[in-house]
Amino acid sequence: MNTNLKISNITKIYPGCIANENVSLEFKSGKIYALLGENGAGKSTLVKILSGVIMPDKGEMFLNKNILKLNSPLDAKKNDIGMVFQHFNLFETLSVFENLIIDSDETKENLREKIELIMKKYNFLINLDVPILNLSAGQKQKVEIIRCLIRNPKVLIMDEPTSVLTEQETSELFLSLKKFSEEGILIIYITHKLKEVMQLCDEVAVMRKGKLVSVSEIKNENIESLANKMVGQNLKTIKKKKVKISGDQLIKITNLNFISEDPFETNLNNINFSVNRGECLGIAGISGNGQSELFQILSGEIISDKNSIEFNKNYIGDLNPQERREYLMAFSPEDRLEQAANPQMKIFENVALNNFKSSNFFKNGLINENKIKEHAKKIISNFNVNTDNIELKSQFLSGGNLQKLIIGRELITSPDLLICFNPTWGLDVGAINYIHETLIKINEQDKSIILISTDTDELLKLSDKISVIHKGKLSKIMNAEEVTSEKLGVLMGGGEID
Amino acid sequence: MIFDINFVGLIIASIMASSVPLILASCGELITERSGVLNLGVEGMMIIGAISGFALMTVTGSLFIAVIGAMLGGVLISTIFAFLTQTLITNHVATGLALTIFGIGISAMIGKNFVGIPGKEFPVLFKSLKDTLPFLSPILFGHSIVFYFAFALPFFTNYFLKKTKLGLIVRAVGDSPESASNQGINVKLVRYSCILYGGAMCGLAGAYLSMIYTPQWIENMTGGRGWIALALVVFSTWNPIKILIGAMIFGGLTIIQFHMQAVGVRIPVQFLTALPYIVTIVVLVIISRDSRKIRLSTPSSLGKSFYKDN
Repeated sequence: MNTNLKISNITKIYPGCIANENVSLEFKSGKIYALLGENGAGKSTLVKILSGVIMPDKGEMFLNKNILKLNSPLDAKKNDIGMVFQHFNLFETLSVFENLIIDSDETKENLREKIELIMKKYNFLINLDVPILNLSAGQKQKVEIIRCLIRNPKVLIMDEPTSVLTEQETSELFLSLKKFSEEGILIIYITHKLKEVMQLCDEVAVMRKGKLVSVSEIKNENIESLANKMVGQNLKTIKKKKVKISGDQLIKITNLNFISEDPFETNLNNINFSVNRGECLGIAGISGNGQSELFQILSGEIISDKNSIEFNKNYIGDLNPQERREYLMAFSPEDRLEQAANPQMKIFENVALNNFKSSNFFKNGLINENKIKEHAKKIISNFNVNTDNIELKSQFLSGGNLQKLIIGRELITSPDLLICFNPTWGLDVGAINYIHETLIKINEQDKSIILISTDTDELLKLSDKISVIHKGKLSKIMNAEEVTSEKLGVLMGGGEID
Repeated sequence: MIFDINFVGLIIASIMASSVPLILASCGELITERSGVLNLGVEGMMIIGAISGFALMTVTGSLFIAVIGAMLGGVLISTIFAFLTQTLITNHVATGLALTIFGIGISAMIGKNFVGIPGKEFPVLFKSLKDTLPFLSPILFGHSIVFYFAFALPFFTNYFLKKTKLGLIVRAVGDSPESASNQGINVKLVRYSCILYGGAMCGLAGAYLSMIYTPQWIENMTGGRGWIALALVVFSTWNPIKILIGAMIFGGLTIIQFHMQAVGVRIPVQFLTALPYIVTIVVLVIISRDSRKIRLSTPSSLGKSFYKDN
């Protein structure tokens, strides 16, 4: 099966932004192509065009020399283009089998047989009759891949497929992708992770600000060269300096249990750890293993037993987030627009939200707008938030800017402990670098961090001690230098290490 | 009072008759909601069905035309809702409330000329079998075709949702319209169809009230049944069989409290009238407590507008 997919001069313009500008590329089967770029570089737009979700303003596509016109996702399917989106396109409440049969014309029996053959061939193990919401992210992705394979695709497009996978799941995925490629499926792999490009792909196309910057073979590139192409400038690599940490204990969690009434939450089972001043404790894990519950308990969104959390010699387990802030704790939740900031409120209003008690901001029940605005401006300039309009609704800030604003809001009160949950989730390299630098700086100022993250590279870079959460249980706490990402992967998958 | 088994049968039959409009409207709304659309206009669509049916029956004299016309009346008014919420992307809640107010108003206007006109007798099926069996006969025989249709509907609805491909598509759209659209399903078409179907069933429910249950036109004669139907859908956790149970409890308590009032039980009338509402909700909440099942059957996108960005 020889497939040739060509796009020429694709242009797509959104109000106020050119998402794709004259992008031309050619793909041939037998190779794995990487489409590399930061957030907002236009990768997703291009992918959506290739899968028929949106239509280009200008430009043409050709599949095996025939003009390809995709007016809907259905057209892409008809032309044997399979697509696995970053955000799964699955129906959570339907069973796996129902998800797969919905766009198939085959009878139930035939389809089931076909699916079972595919699963056997590629070593997938999935129960077809459970609802999707019972599956792990890796399994969900496999369902998406099976959905594509049922149709014997010529082209398979994967959009940031590893953002939710563990190390093991990622290597399994790579094995499968290489197998597909050998069988003649043309694979286009979209990512901003350089390591994966080097590991998996044969050719790489780099995009920046809607334009195609370069097309080259992987063997002529290395991580640094790709990074510089992607960002458009030379990136400095940050590293945490090894300093001696005091033995001064700041927070101690003792026998913390949490049993949820919601069956879709994870129960926490006998959590114990402590963090010293100036130390960063990283908590790794695949999402959905109790991180969200742990964060909520640490931040006081969920109240626990008074004695289970000791902070600075005070028992604070029964305090709410506002009261905990008075003891100099600060929080940066995972969901920036839902939990950390109110998307409808202006920037300066949002920075006042964590500081209701401040007499500077509020007097006799009235808002002192000038003081708050001054404060907001200070945060914006101190923390590099790229806007000068503090009247802007926070939903219009990019993820990176919003995260900087939130971290800034939390840090400007100089707390003793910052608890953050996936602080760089979905951000581009520049913003990630900035956040990482900031977090390292806090440690240097003898403040502590609890970093709950699903990104193992981030954890290895920033943490002094690391533990892994799996099914609501915490592994033993390890020194960061004796940990490797492979070891973390084993623990994250529920395995044991010596 | 002598205990008469035939009398009990008659009471059960009257309970069933009173629950017919609730079953029809709830099953219609259930399909609408399963596709992710929250249409609070049930009461409005029912009353439009009631007046369309009654007016057409009086004008044309044909019961068949009247019933079909009532359903089309429901479809027509739900088309307004569908156009507003699906094409113009208005808010479901506000639009649905407006639809109810609109329906009540316009039905009162049309209905002015039909007040006091007697209705027609609606033919019943199996009339000859009415006295054959003690107890069972009044329950099983001698009802209108709409009655039988209503009691079959929850089972059909259940079968449709669980076993057919179209039902699967409706559930998929209600779960995630974005994913459905990316799978090449025409979300708008599915949602339009479900809204219109819901309108037809509500229209039929209204026609049953004005043509069969109490064959006459009285202004605002649906009397809040549309709201009960809506509540039944939610408290049954979008399960057609539980709707049947809920509607029977509600109908039953309504009938029984009438009898209690008639016998002169010394309980405040207001409490008795409120009883069906309270008990129905309590029972449905109790039988639907499994939060896992609730999560699995609640349409995740309920009430959320969907539009494709281009």
